[in-house]
Amino acid sequence: MPTDLLSNTFAALADPTRRSILERLVYGEASVTELAEPFEMSLPAVSKHLKVLERAGLIERSRQAQWRPCRLQAAPLKDVDEWVERYRSFWEESFDRLDEYLFQLQEEEKTDGEK
Amino acid sequence: MEKSRPMTKPAEGELVITRIFDAPRELVWKAWTDPEHLMRWWGPKVFTCPHCEIDLRVGGKFLNCMRSSEGQDIWSTGVYREIVPMERIVCTDSFADEKGNVVPATHYGMPDNIPLEMQVTVTFEDLDGKTRMTLRHEGLPAGEMSDSAQQGWSESFDKLAEYLAKA
Repeated sequence: MPTDLLSNTFAALADPTRRSILERLVYGEASVTELAEPFEMSLPAVSKHLKVLERAGLIERSRQAQWRPCRLQAAPLKDVDEWVERYRSFWEESFDRLDEYLFQLQEEEKTDGEK
Repeated sequence: MEKSRPMTKPAEGELVITRIFDAPRELVWKAWTDPEHLMRWWGPKVFTCPHCEIDLRVGGKFLNCMRSSEGQDIWSTGVYREIVPMERIVCTDSFADEKGNVVPATHYGMPDNIPLEMQVTVTFEDLDGKTRMTLRHEGLPAGEMSDSAQQGWSESFDKLAEYLAKA
């Protein structure tokens, strides 16, 4: 079910270490050792994070090479982007109205004060 | 008015909008927390807001309705998780039916990639009589979902089961 996959995606993205790993992978594939470097973390701990990312479909690990490089998979991120953009227009348009409304309210206050 | 600009780069799956309103913080706070005020601006420009309930306390709920120009009603609800008067509101946010039960976005014909439960954080800062408002809207991972959202899940599964039994 696609919604389940999206929940997995959010669970995977909720962790700052995993987000940093994804950011690193934007620049190209990398081995577990390379990915572990910037963090003070053991290789098994990093592997655990990679498993979560793999389950969420956010990365792919090659079975070919001995060092099994990790590669970014962008499709689930596109799903996330899509709902975020939908909400962006909801809020932006609401806030345009709020801005006008606040202006109106203060104008009314002013004229009330003059009476 | 200054246009929205994100203060920090938001993480994936998270929306951050900042606006500066030429109005005192007290008034902006009121516009968010008093139903009479909120109904005047809630929703995109082609929408109206015919119904708004706000129970402003931690654990209290809101229930809003917005109506499209074609007359379609879209309800949303959420639970307040944190309230600091004039400073900060944190609440959950979900689509709902008119009774306030959580429903998936597909209930309104929207795509199923919208999370069932999201979290909205609004902060208000005083800038010499103007107000900087920052909104953060993020999806909640399944493990952090509230009971009502879980309920919504199971109800949509019930419907699916019903449908499959008939098919």
